[in-house]
Amino acid sequence: MAVRRRTSIPNQTAAQPNPEPGGDPQPPNAAPPADEFSLAPPKLGLILSVLALFLIPFFYLLFVHYQIESDLRYYISIGVALSLVGFWVTVWLIPVAARYLLRRNMFGYDINKRGTPRGEVKVPETLGIVTAIVFLVVAIVLQLFTLTADSDWLVEYNAALACICFMTLLGFVDDVLDVPWRVKLVLPFFASLPLMMAYAGHTSIIIPKPLVPYVGLSVLDLGLIYKLYMIMLVIFCTNSINIHAGLNGLEVGQTVVISFAVLIHNLMQIGASSDIDYKQAHAFSIYMMLPLLTTSLGLLAFNWYPSSVFVGDTYTYFAGMSLAVVGILGHFSETLLLFFLPQVLNFLYSCPQLFGFVHCPRHRLPRFDPQTGLLTGTKDMNLVNLFLRLFGRCTEKSLCIRLLIFQALSCLMCFGLRYILAGWYK
Amino acid sequence: MVARRRQSIPDQTVRSSELTPSNYEAPPTEKEEFSLAAPKLGLMLSILALFLVPFIYFLFVRYPTEIDLRLSILVCIAISLCGFVATVLLVPVAARYLLRRNLFGRDINKKGTPRGAAKVPEALGIVTGIVFLVVAILVQLAVSFLQYNLTADSDWLVEYNAALACICFMILLGFVDDVLDVPWSVKLVLPFFSALPLVMAYAGHTSIIIPKPLVPYVGLSVLDLGLIYKVYMIMLVIFCTNSINIHAGINGLEVGQTVVISSAILIFNLMQIGASTDLDYKQAHVFSIYIMLPLLTTSLGLLAFNWYPSSVFVGDTYTYFAGMAIAVVGILGHFSETLLLFFLPQVLNFLYSCPQLFGIVPCPRHRLPRFDPQTGLLIGTSDMNFVNLFLRLFGQCTEKTLCIRLVIFQVFSCLLCFQLRSILAGWYK
Repeated sequence: MAVRRRTSIPNQTAAQPNPEPGGDPQPPNAAPPADEFSLAPPKLGLILSVLALFLIPFFYLLFVHYQIESDLRYYISIGVALSLVGFWVTVWLIPVAARYLLRRNMFGYDINKRGTPRGEVKVPETLGIVTAIVFLVVAIVLQLFTLTADSDWLVEYNAALACICFMTLLGFVDDVLDVPWRVKLVLPFFASLPLMMAYAGHTSIIIPKPLVPYVGLSVLDLGLIYKLYMIMLVIFCTNSINIHAGLNGLEVGQTVVISFAVLIHNLMQIGASSDIDYKQAHAFSIYMMLPLLTTSLGLLAFNWYPSSVFVGDTYTYFAGMSLAVVGILGHFSETLLLFFLPQVLNFLYSCPQLFGFVHCPRHRLPRFDPQTGLLTGTKDMNLVNLFLRLFGRCTEKSLCIRLLIFQALSCLMCFGLRYILAGWYK
Repeated sequence: MVARRRQSIPDQTVRSSELTPSNYEAPPTEKEEFSLAAPKLGLMLSILALFLVPFIYFLFVRYPTEIDLRLSILVCIAISLCGFVATVLLVPVAARYLLRRNLFGRDINKKGTPRGAAKVPEALGIVTGIVFLVVAILVQLAVSFLQYNLTADSDWLVEYNAALACICFMILLGFVDDVLDVPWSVKLVLPFFSALPLVMAYAGHTSIIIPKPLVPYVGLSVLDLGLIYKVYMIMLVIFCTNSINIHAGINGLEVGQTVVISSAILIFNLMQIGASTDLDYKQAHVFSIYIMLPLLTTSLGLLAFNWYPSSVFVGDTYTYFAGMAIAVVGILGHFSETLLLFFLPQVLNFLYSCPQLFGIVPCPRHRLPRFDPQTGLLIGTSDMNFVNLFLRLFGQCTEKTLCIRLVIFQVFSCLLCFQLRSILAGWYK
C-alpha cells in the first residue's frame, strides 16, 4: 500500500529544464544535476549484521549439519556469491535511480513524520524497481551456472522468471500511473498465468490423517481447483504484503524475514530427504530466494528507519510474487502460508474495513504526534494499530522492530509446528 | 528515438492529491480537458483484411496443412483479434493516466501549427506490450488445452517461456526508460540483459550452413559456431531493437514498419510450414506465428491512434518491445537470416546513420527533417538517415506521404527478399 502521499504538483522551487522551444538547456537524456540531491548514506552496518546473522546458520546447515551432495553445495555457494554481488549492485544503483525517479516526480511525503522537518522532504518512490531488475539479472545469470540447457527445471525456471517479470512490470505501471485499486487487485492474476501454463506437478493434496475417515480418501486430486488455489495464493501473497505496510522498513523487513525462513526450510528439506526431484524443487527455491534476500537487504539499507527511499507497489508485488512462485513450484505452499501467518492474521483482521462493513479511510495509519515523536494507535483494524493499542505508544522504529520480531517468532513457531505435526499430519 | 521533446514541468492545472485526499483514487475528471481523437478504424480494418485474405488463403487453400494446425492458427487469430479490440479500448484509458503523470511530448514535425502545441501522450507502447503478453499466454493456454501442438508440449514450453520472459523484461526496461529517460549509453545495452533468458534457453544448433560457393574456400559445409552463435543472437537482439528505434520520428513510422515486417514473417512462416514435412521445423514456424499474430493485431490497435496525425506516441517501450519480439521469433524459429533480409531498410538506415551515430559527422539531438508551417511540407536536412534521404531524393512532401513512401519501401524490400530467397534457395543451400 502506497501510504506515502503522492503529489502531482511538484515543488516549484526545484530546478526544472526550460520548456521554451529553442533553448533546452538540459538535453532530456542528460543525467539530472548531481549537486541538488543526495541520498543519506545506506545503513550498511545494520544490514551487514543482518546478513551475517543469516549467513552463519545457513552455511552451518549447508556444510556441517546436513550431508548434502558436493555439487549441490557448490551451486548453492555460487548462488550466495552471485546474490552478494547483487546486494552491492543494488546498494550502488539505488542512489542513481533515486535521482532519476525524483526528477520525474515519483516521490512521496512521509506521513508518519508530518509536522517535523523530515515530513517536508521529498522521498523518492518506487525504488523497488531497482531491486526487481537486479534480482532478475542475478536469477538469470545464476541459472547459467546451475542449469544445463536440457534440464527439466528450465521450464519452471523460465515460467517463474516470466511471472516475476510480468508482475514487476504491472507493479511499476501501477506506481507510475496510479491505477484504481480494483485493477490493482487483479493484476497478480494476469502475472500468474505463465505459472498455470508451466505447472506440471501433482494437483493433489494429502488429507491430514485425522480427517481421512471422514473424507474417505487419503489423497485427493484437485485438478483444476488446485490451479485456482495457485492463483488465489499469488493474489493473496502480493496483496497481503501490500496491506501490512505503512511504516518505514516494514514491507522489506517482512520479506527479508520470510525469505530467510524459506531458505532455512529449503536447506532442512534438502538435508532430510533422499528424493532427487524433491531436493531439486527446494534447490530451485533457494536459487530464487537468495537473490530476493540480498537485493531486498540492499534496498533495506536505504529504506530502514528513517527511510531515504520508498519502495512502491513495485516492490510489494514483486516480493509477493517471488515468494508465491517458489512456494508453488517448490511444492511447499502450505508451509509458505504458515510463514505468512502475520499477513494472514492482518488480512483477516482487516476484512471488515476492506469489504466496507466498517468505514475504511484512505490510509489506515496510526496518528503521529510531532511533539513526542510517538505513534498512537487509531481504531483501524490492522496489526500496525493493534500493536500500538495493545503495547502502547512507541516510536515508528520500535513499532517496526516489534512487528518484525512478531514475524520472526511466527516463523519459528511454524518450524516448531511443522516438526510436531509432521508425524501426526502426514 | 524519442523525437518528441519531453516536458518536465507539468501542467499547473493538474489536481494534487494533497488537497483532496478522499478523491485520491478517483480517475482523472479532466474528461472535458482531454479526449483522444477517434481511432482510424476504417484504415486499420482494411489493413487487417488486406493481410488476413492472403494469410487465410495460404492456410486453407494453397498448402495442405494438418487440420489440427489450421484450427490452432484459427484459434490464435481469434484471440489476437480480441487483443486488437482490447488495445483499441485500452489506449484512450491509458493515455489519460499517462498524461496525468506528465508522460507526454509535443509533435516537433508540427511545430508552428496549433497541433504542434498539443500535449501528446507518450509511451502508449505499454498498452500494446501488456495486451500482447496476455494474448500470447492465452494462445498457449488454448493451444495446449486443445492439444493442437505438433510436438510434445514440453519441447516447446521452455522456448515459449523463455520468449515470454525476454519480451516481458524488454517491455519493463523499455517502460523504465520512457519514464526515467535513461542515458543513451544505458539504452543501448538494455536489450543485452533482456536477451539473456533466450541465450540460456536456446537449445538448437549453433552451426551455420556455409553458402555452397564458399565451401571450397572455407573447407567445411557446416560450421559449428558454438558460443559465437550465442554472441550473434545477442547482437541480433540489440540490432533489431535499436534499428527500429532509429528508423523513426515520423507519425506512424515505428508501428508501420513493424506491421509490415510481422506480416511478411507470418506469410513466410506459412510458406515454410506448407513446404516442409519435418515436424520440428513446422513447429518452429508455428511457434513464430503464435507470437507474430498477437504482435500484428496489437500493433494495429496502437496504429489506429498513432497513424498520421498521431493522437498518441509509442515511446521506446514500443520500439524495444517490437524489436525484441521479432528477434525472438527469428532466433527460436531458426530463420534469423531471412529476418535480416526483411530488416533490409533498417540495416541500410543503420549503415547510412553510422557516421553520425559514431560521431564522425556531427549528430544533433533529433535528426528530423525541417517542417515548414506555411506549406505544411517537410524538407530534408543533411542528416544521414532514410527519412531525410527520401526527402532529398524525392522532394518535399507532407509527413503522411513520407511515411507512406517509407512503409511502401519496406513492403517492396520484403517482396524482394521473398524473391531473393526463392532464387537463391537452390544456389545458397
